[in-house]
Amino acid sequence: MTNTTLTLAWRNIWRHPRRTLLTIAAMVFADVLLVFMLGLQLGQYQMMIDNTLGLFSGQMQVQAKDYLDEPQMYRSIPDADRLADEIRQQTGLDAVSARGYGFALASSEKRTIGVQVTGVDADYEQLVSTIPGLVETGRYLSANSANEAVIGSTLATNLKISVGDELTLMGSGRDGSIAATVLPVVGIFNSGNRDLDRQMMEMPIDTFRDVFAMENHAHSIIVAGKRSMAETYSNNIDNIIAQNDKLVLHDWEALLPGLKQAIQADFFSAWIMYALLIILVAFSMLNTMLMSVLERTHEFGILLALGVRHGKLGRIILTESFVLAFTGMLVGVLAGASLTYYFLINGISFPGMEEMGARFNIPPVITPEVSLRTVLPGPLAVLLATVAASVYPVWHIRKLRPIEALQAA
Amino acid sequence: MSTGSQHISWSIVFRIAWRNLWRNHRRSLIMLSAIALGLWGMIWMTALMRGMVDQMIDSSIKTLSGHIQIHAPGYLDDPSIEYLLPPLDESPALQSLLGSDDVVAWSQRIRVPAVIRSERDVFAVTLVGIDPAKEKGLSFIGDSVTEGDYLTSVDDKKLLVGKKLLERLETKLNRRVVLMSQDPENNIAERGFRIGGMFDTDLEATETGYVFAGLETVRKMLKMGPGVSEISLLSHDYRELDPLLEKTRAAIPDADVKTWIEQDPYMGSMLAVMDGFVLVWFAVIFLALSFGLVNTLLMAVFERTREIGLVQALGMKSTNILYMVLIESIIMLMIGLAAGNILSWLTILPLKDGIDVSSVAAGMELAGMSSTLLPAVKLYDVVLANLLVLVLGIAASLFPAWRASRKVPIEAITRVWQ
Amino acid sequence: MTIEITNAVKCRGVSKVFSQGELAVHALTDIDLDIAAGEFVCLSGSSGSGKTTLLNMIGGLDVATAGEITVAGKRLDKMPMSELADLRLQHIGFVFQAYNLIPVLSARENVEFVMQLQGIEADQRRVNAMEILQQVGLTGMEDRRPAELSGGQQQRVAVARAIVSKPALILADEPTANLDSENSDKLMTLMRELNSQIGTTFIISTHDEGVMAFAKRLIRLHDGRIVSDEAI
Repeated sequence: MTNTTLTLAWRNIWRHPRRTLLTIAAMVFADVLLVFMLGLQLGQYQMMIDNTLGLFSGQMQVQAKDYLDEPQMYRSIPDADRLADEIRQQTGLDAVSARGYGFALASSEKRTIGVQVTGVDADYEQLVSTIPGLVETGRYLSANSANEAVIGSTLATNLKISVGDELTLMGSGRDGSIAATVLPVVGIFNSGNRDLDRQMMEMPIDTFRDVFAMENHAHSIIVAGKRSMAETYSNNIDNIIAQNDKLVLHDWEALLPGLKQAIQADFFSAWIMYALLIILVAFSMLNTMLMSVLERTHEFGILLALGVRHGKLGRIILTESFVLAFTGMLVGVLAGASLTYYFLINGISFPGMEEMGARFNIPPVITPEVSLRTVLPGPLAVLLATVAASVYPVWHIRKLRPIEALQAA
Repeated sequence: MSTGSQHISWSIVFRIAWRNLWRNHRRSLIMLSAIALGLWGMIWMTALMRGMVDQMIDSSIKTLSGHIQIHAPGYLDDPSIEYLLPPLDESPALQSLLGSDDVVAWSQRIRVPAVIRSERDVFAVTLVGIDPAKEKGLSFIGDSVTEGDYLTSVDDKKLLVGKKLLERLETKLNRRVVLMSQDPENNIAERGFRIGGMFDTDLEATETGYVFAGLETVRKMLKMGPGVSEISLLSHDYRELDPLLEKTRAAIPDADVKTWIEQDPYMGSMLAVMDGFVLVWFAVIFLALSFGLVNTLLMAVFERTREIGLVQALGMKSTNILYMVLIESIIMLMIGLAAGNILSWLTILPLKDGIDVSSVAAGMELAGMSSTLLPAVKLYDVVLANLLVLVLGIAASLFPAWRASRKVPIEAITRVWQ
Repeated sequence: MTIEITNAVKCRGVSKVFSQGELAVHALTDIDLDIAAGEFVCLSGSSGSGKTTLLNMIGGLDVATAGEITVAGKRLDKMPMSELADLRLQHIGFVFQAYNLIPVLSARENVEFVMQLQGIEADQRRVNAMEILQQVGLTGMEDRRPAELSGGQQQRVAVARAIVSKPALILADEPTANLDSENSDKLMTLMRELNSQIGTTFIISTHDEGVMAFAKRLIRLHDGRIVSDEAI
């Protein structure tokens, strides 16, 4: 493609400024929409994932082999603290924490409710979960052997207790024995997550081990690093636990399959809408391209008469449409990226988000993502659709005879 | 000879517009397809979205909330045995309301938090004591027992457990489980149940969250006096509840009466968001179409410059010329819309029973949605979409049409020699 | 019914200047002209002589830069666009060199077109149209579209359309330019006949000697001015 071809193509496009501008406007419209919506979607997903993981489940967890499918108390990790230490050293990551999970009936003065009990490592838990930071009244757990607990806000309300009140716990231990104790509630947290607030009680891990006959075991070691480093960490950890075939490393997708699926489902349905939009724009392009080709029949007749071959003619037309489409894409990408970037700085929220946010762990203000993977796919698709749309007009004139063409208006 | 003014000759204008449309059949067909496709997209997408919302609302309503619920004040914050409604015979006004035509179905329940224990595992659930006969028309439980038997009466001693919960508890039909809850004196009330039936719903959370027993059985287990935790009722239209709400509140003034929206603000906001989203989607589709529409019309007008000059020379007035172009556009819009409506109808009808989205199903259920998408075509949406395309299409055509009528005949005619 | 206007066209000091940026083209300068009703006039001259421009002025298609034009007793220079349109509808008929007909209408429909604008009843329109098509010798072709007619036939339909509503004036701009000599003669003969039978004023612009032979009055233009005006 030579310089003159491009110059010619460019000038030809601007022979009909209004038409070209409308065409470009159509492309820009679609591009801006696609870039913005994709950015919003991906930004939202990131936040959903980060928030959900950061709340309680962490990036990945080491667990006993079948614990995930059948969470029985006896499926535990022996010598858990040492393993957690080793992981910390090998990965260089501090955000590694051991936990035990159990179930008990908690009785306050007035109520008895079934609760999920989690024994947490008081030193490290705040690095893997945001719950310690979400304590509203009272304080979080102080030491690993302290005889205390924190519970969710809804649970506190339902049990009709406040900070300082005692709860009697009754459950079954790892060895099947009765696990019972009395603990004061030192703090009440409000996570915003309905299930956690309603059912969760946290106590220091050594106390947990004591009550539930866990010896030095735990049910899970939580690892919460940066998502970008996930692969490094998981390789590391896989090496560490490789010898023990009773231990498995689960990533968050295995831990929260619903989340991943929900995101996929949403993404899938969104792309159907995007596809429809792109097709419609392509139709608009098709018409425009077809009309301009038909309009220039006489001109093509002259070119053919001068000796230009049909193939070359087709390439000329394609070049023009490519230049047009490319211009549209450039402007579209710029406009789309700018708009999305503006909202990246300022955040975006729309009505109805508060309630939806509470359900899906999205804060009421979303920051969209602006990156190559949000800014390019949509406009690229529009570009391809536009160039594809011009294939038909080119095909249409492949049999054009010079004499007929010259006689056309 | 007739006097000055000109007749707008609709038949000639229409005839020319119609024939001109088909003169360039390729272009017209492309534009028509675009319009049809655009309309199809509008109708389809909104049908799917409305369907999803309808399903969510429906399952939420069927999952015990009903249209309107009556509780003792304080129950909703603390759903325990402490907050009970007085027995029905103490509220004759309510009784007659429940028997009236406004109420399609109703039932009473005892609903308390409990713990279920099998040999292998323990779980927190909500224990619901129901009146099986009345419950059948009201909530999901009447129709979702897939193995074993539904409850027979309020005195039935068996338990209905959800499929997923049975898995978690590692137990099965006819085995025994123990239910523990709290009695009015804050003592543990415990009772063994045989699992009489297993229910299967689309929503995992429902299967693990609730177990059902006979109303009176639960009452005895909890050593309760008379009274119930809640009364739930169904009326004719889940969107038009205000009149019934008022009547209910009047019939039992000391109770806490709420609609399903008030109980789950998330659902209510979903409806609002969906309505807004539909409009936005329509606007987006239409804008995508309009670029092509305007461009096509502009070019059509350009092509017919000579002809327009001719008819002007013959004495046709500007307004007539405007109508000529406008009518051409209207005809195209209407044919496109008709095709789009037919296409929509043809593609939605066979899918009336729902689209199975098994490949992403797991996520749907966990996210609180059914794995079968049921498109819900609302007349309002269809009419709105059609009107929007027609009205905006005409608006978009005004510019090219106006340009056509504005041409001075001499410019138009002399274009021949340029 | 014959037309009872004595002076069909009157021009006084008519000039037309086309300006394209810096350039000014003097298409017509100081035209004085009187044409009576029923005349058969040819405007002749080479290209650029201004004959087409003058014709366009008279037909109300273009506006003079200076001077007065009166057609059928009405002053054109003061008329708004819509009135000019009415004038063309009721009193003036046009035959152009090419592209006379609406492509999507049949010959008959093209002829009926103006009558429809005038509000004449459908039955009456049909009768008139068939009659005039017969007069111009196109019986049997009435349902054909322009694309299905030869050049000569198309021009005859144009003439039929021009004359069917019985205008005071018919303006023809190089009507034979695209026809061979045989068809050209036929067309001119037709127009002369109509002029005799119905009494419509004909003003025809041409540079073809063969056409000028048919004129009863020949006005020559050169560089925008009238250089001669003779009766033949």
